[in-house]
Amino acid sequence: MGDTIETEGRFASAMRADAPPAIVLQDVNKWFGALHVLRDINLTVATGERVVVCGPSGSGKSTMIRCINRLEQHQQGKIMVDGIELSDDLRSLDAIRREVGMVFQSFNLFPHLTVLENCTLAPIWVRRMPKKEAEELAMEYLERVRIPEQAKKYPGQLSGGQQQRVAIARALCMKPKIMLFDEPTSALDPEMIKEVLDTMVMLAETGMTMICVTHEMGFARQVADRVVFMDRGEIVESGEPEALFSDPKTDRLRLFLSQILRGH
Amino acid sequence: MSDVTLNAAAASPEAAPRAAPVTSTGTVAWLRANLFSSWINTAVSLALAYLLVRWTIGFIDWAFINAIWTVPMQGNVPQTQACRALEGSGACWAVIGEKHRFILFGTYPYEEHWRPLLVCALFIALYVVSAMRRFWSWVLIPIWVGTLTLIGVLMWGGVLGLSYVPQERWGGLPITLILSTFGLAFAFPLAVLVALGRRSKLPAIKTLCVLYVELVRGVPLISLLFMASVMFPLFLPEGMNIDKLLRAQVAITLFAGAYLAEVVRAGLQTLPRGQYEAAEALGLSYWHKTGLIILPQALRLVIPPLVNTFIGFFKDTSLVLIIGIFDLLTAGKTAIVEPAWQGFGIEVYVFVGAIYLVFCFAMSKYSQDLERDLNQHRRR
Repeated sequence: MGDTIETEGRFASAMRADAPPAIVLQDVNKWFGALHVLRDINLTVATGERVVVCGPSGSGKSTMIRCINRLEQHQQGKIMVDGIELSDDLRSLDAIRREVGMVFQSFNLFPHLTVLENCTLAPIWVRRMPKKEAEELAMEYLERVRIPEQAKKYPGQLSGGQQQRVAIARALCMKPKIMLFDEPTSALDPEMIKEVLDTMVMLAETGMTMICVTHEMGFARQVADRVVFMDRGEIVESGEPEALFSDPKTDRLRLFLSQILRGH
Repeated sequence: MSDVTLNAAAASPEAAPRAAPVTSTGTVAWLRANLFSSWINTAVSLALAYLLVRWTIGFIDWAFINAIWTVPMQGNVPQTQACRALEGSGACWAVIGEKHRFILFGTYPYEEHWRPLLVCALFIALYVVSAMRRFWSWVLIPIWVGTLTLIGVLMWGGVLGLSYVPQERWGGLPITLILSTFGLAFAFPLAVLVALGRRSKLPAIKTLCVLYVELVRGVPLISLLFMASVMFPLFLPEGMNIDKLLRAQVAITLFAGAYLAEVVRAGLQTLPRGQYEAAEALGLSYWHKTGLIILPQALRLVIPPLVNTFIGFFKDTSLVLIIGIFDLLTAGKTAIVEPAWQGFGIEVYVFVGAIYLVFCFAMSKYSQDLERDLNQHRRR
């Protein structure tokens, strides 16, 4: 089952090889004070490609994807998203954020709004969609993440796994071209990880461009076109998941994999 | 230890859920548990009960049983000998009966008192309507503008056949309500903007907001009122004079704004960064993010300190007496200057205090309900 999805996925991304890349990072550098957190990052993600980013904590993987929608600012280099260069120009930033959805480790749902309102907020205020249409759209996505019956509840009344699925639906309601996942299952209890991963697999099957920071190697094997391994702010290795996991080229990746596998 | 637990679990693998233990409450049980559980508790309870009963009886004696409600008049002079004969053992409510219109409306022309009375009623109606959540929409803006205009027309007159009453003759409760309502209505939006400005990334705006808050908060309200009433006119071109009440109003608004700004800022700071990031990641603009995500949550969190400040300022408006404006408290003080009524301060202050209490308690109660209703999402 996993194999077929994988082949289909790779086929789909191969089909779009002529399309312009969704994301380009060119010699990106970033410092937090004196700490050099991103070092000469070069990464190109094709439209429809699914990239999993892994690495030890503090390796800069979250910072890297947070630079893609400018929750963090890079200090050197160039980032292009959907053909638009990230700069201080607010209009291009708004345009990029409309097209890039993000799912956070700690869900970050808006606690004072119901699940439905969480989902309709951005379509109504950013996309200027009529309320009724936005609600229909939201229900459609809530059904797709399989929690339409919770629409009238507040986020605080849901379990962690349900909240994260709402967060995915909320991002999808903006109909983004690219989805960023920042350790989406790290804050979840073990029994809830699967329901979120299933939702992400389902999303991957639709051909969405995805960058996902995660340690879920099973997920990486199942859906990723490419795995990027980062350590100390650098991209150390990248490649197809099977090849990367079974035949690591560097000691750092070998060490990381042994720690991850021991952990599971 | 763990063995025991394991065995216990194994012995009844599918134990039926048990009911919670029956609570043994009831008035007697409650009293015994909370008031008479030990001899010390019993002693304290009895002592407090004794004091409570004594004071209550004493107050009822003073306020009702021994009280004098009216005094005879001789011409225009009230004969207060009976009241004085009480020597404080009973209240002389006659002073309220005689002076309540002066306390409530100050030196406003006597035959026109229906106008400030109507103004007070309008203010209260305005509060009630604004408090009802079903009116929480843009409708409130025309309602406020309309009511406040009507209040201005009623107080000043000079149109629609109403005689003109200069501001110097206004006094009493309408002054207190005008100062606090206008003051807080303008101070609150100002405070929100200043609180946001203080967290702004733009250095000029940030500095300006910090300066405003620190300067205004760093001086007593009284000195601000003095400045507004004495110094401010010096800077104006000759012949130009801004209404004294308006100057006091501006001083109070600026002062309240600085305090409220800090309360609002506290609310902004308690919000986790993730809320800002989630809003930004969805592509919301600064004002959408602030208006839809940040402020609704931040303001809910600071309802108690906000109302605390509101209540404080409602009472602080009485400080305008130092620049010669006749608010409720000043009118009360002036009422007992008259020789016949000298020495009956307690009755007047109880009366004035009761009016303040009604307004402040209403605010406090409303805020508790609001807090409960608006924070429903926090309950599971």
